[in-house]
Amino acid sequence: MFDRDIWQEIFHSIKNNKLRTFLTGFSVGWGIFILVMLLGSVNGMQNGFHNQFNDDATNTIFVSPGKTSKAYAGFEAERRIQFKNDDIEYIKKSFEGDFEQISARMRRGTTARYKSETGTYQVQAVHPDFQVIEKTIIMDGRFINMNDLLSSSKVAVIGRKVSEDLFKKENPIGKFVEFNGLPFRVIGVFTDDGDDNAERGIFAPITTYQRIYGNTENIDQIALTYNTSYDLTKALEFSRRLEDIMKRRHKISPEDQAGIFVWNYAEAFDNISSFTGLLNKGSIFVVILILIAGIVGIGNIMVFIIKERTKEIGVRKALGAEPWQIIKLVLFESIFITGLSGFIGLLFATGILAAIGPNIKTDAFADPSVSFSTVVTATVILVIAGVLAGLIPAVKAANVKPIVALSDK
Amino acid sequence: MIEIKNLHKSYKMGSNSLHVLKGINFNVEEGELVAIMGSSGSGKSTLLNILGMLDNSDSGEYNLDGVPIKDLNETKAARYRNKFLGFVFQSFNLINYKSAAENVALPLYYQKVGRKERQEKALKYLEQVGLRDWASHLPSELSGGQKQRVAIARALAAEPKVLLADEPTGALDSTTSYEVMDLIQKINDAGNTILVVTHEPDIADMCKRIVHLKDGVIVEDKKIEQVRADQYV
Repeated sequence: MFDRDIWQEIFHSIKNNKLRTFLTGFSVGWGIFILVMLLGSVNGMQNGFHNQFNDDATNTIFVSPGKTSKAYAGFEAERRIQFKNDDIEYIKKSFEGDFEQISARMRRGTTARYKSETGTYQVQAVHPDFQVIEKTIIMDGRFINMNDLLSSSKVAVIGRKVSEDLFKKENPIGKFVEFNGLPFRVIGVFTDDGDDNAERGIFAPITTYQRIYGNTENIDQIALTYNTSYDLTKALEFSRRLEDIMKRRHKISPEDQAGIFVWNYAEAFDNISSFTGLLNKGSIFVVILILIAGIVGIGNIMVFIIKERTKEIGVRKALGAEPWQIIKLVLFESIFITGLSGFIGLLFATGILAAIGPNIKTDAFADPSVSFSTVVTATVILVIAGVLAGLIPAVKAANVKPIVALSDK
Repeated sequence: MIEIKNLHKSYKMGSNSLHVLKGINFNVEEGELVAIMGSSGSGKSTLLNILGMLDNSDSGEYNLDGVPIKDLNETKAARYRNKFLGFVFQSFNLINYKSAAENVALPLYYQKVGRKERQEKALKYLEQVGLRDWASHLPSELSGGQKQRVAIARALAAEPKVLLADEPTGALDSTTSYEVMDLIQKINDAGNTILVVTHEPDIADMCKRIVHLKDGVIVEDKKIEQVRADQYV
């Protein structure tokens, strides 16, 4: 195997048959190239999906009120459901251990003004827990705390973009900004991994907004996170339980689909996971097809090569080459070519992925890459298959009688 | 050197069987230069192929240098060919991507001769056929006569017991043919046993013995006065 002479023979043959070498090498290299690009793209899509959903805590559940569609318990249909503060207290008491954070949410548009700068933003009035639910990152100052809530202080946590719009280069902390004419003190600036849009938002204490908007106890929506130790089944079971209890509390028919909406991230995530899983299976299927095409291609070229070399093999046999020496020559040459060109295809594809990967700024696509072991396995399979495909004609050629191989008269 | 007794060979052509060799008996002593003559279809090439272990006989005996040649598998046949025989073909059969020297060294490679020795020997035999200066040239850069001389050097390089030449001048013009025959005669003068298959009478006259084949049997076997080729060169 490591006999210097046979490698010299092989290099000689490769050097003097460039087209043949190129054809074989190209089919292998191209196969591996497509393979890596495909797997990389699928991975990129998967990463894209995960990034998009990682913006918020992935164990979030939103409960929103709606309008009943069925008459129930003496109430007519078309009744608007309204959540109040005691709904939160009720959930806290009823589902202890099931949830980790809970917050009300009230959304109001506002015109904000600081000195001569104005802008229109959405204010989310929430509880302190909301910071964790939305994965909000405080850059400066602090988030809303219990004291703000108890005293219904007019304080606000503004997004990075809001700060840039209104305060320019000034430090906004401690400054007063007017929301619809009412002065609010800025206590913090936040950023959000997920998207720039979230940074155009403002957070305020829920109690402050309830007082401003009619001194009520009304809330628009309840957001909570379920116990992180829950698996998908338990999480779904919890949100079903939550839905049932809230329906009973607000006297909504259990069959009514419109009275209350419970939106569980786990469910969405499950859908995404099964989608990417399907994508993965699909790509494996395509990869197998590519491998088969590659193997057939290599086999084809090997047959062609052996045909072309029949006469040479006949000469070698007449000069005293044993059949095994012929097979060895053909085999090592093809192993060398397929292995090397597979490696080149691999380098090219991973190089391209590495070069364009960081430049792709689409939400649905991120960090396209492949696991090295997958690609090496594919290359090895392709090389082995190529060799096997070449072995059959090689053995045939080695067993041809020299007189047949040499007859050209 | 070569003993053949009652050799038969037939080819199957579909449902018909073509009886090519119908009981050949002949011996070749060491140092002989034998021409095997016959028209096309007389079986002369088949006989040479069997002598060269490139083909098998159906029945009969064949001893080469005292070794019975029968029931050979491919590997053993390859070893015997390498050890006993040198081939010269009508169409030269040089490997086109190897230089003259590399072509000559090839049988030595299969004899597992070391690299250095291979190169030395290749150059020595190229010298003997007068092509030392062409050692690094590819076959495509050589004339027909030169190619055949490289092929002869290659056949000699293995230092075989018997040199088998199948129409060695078949693809050459008459001047070049005589040059090649002159070379073959000189090699024979040095003591090598050579069998030449030909259908050209003037080439046959340059050997020391003519065996005439017709329809698969030897019809004539005579020693002749050798015509030297160098008078035409």
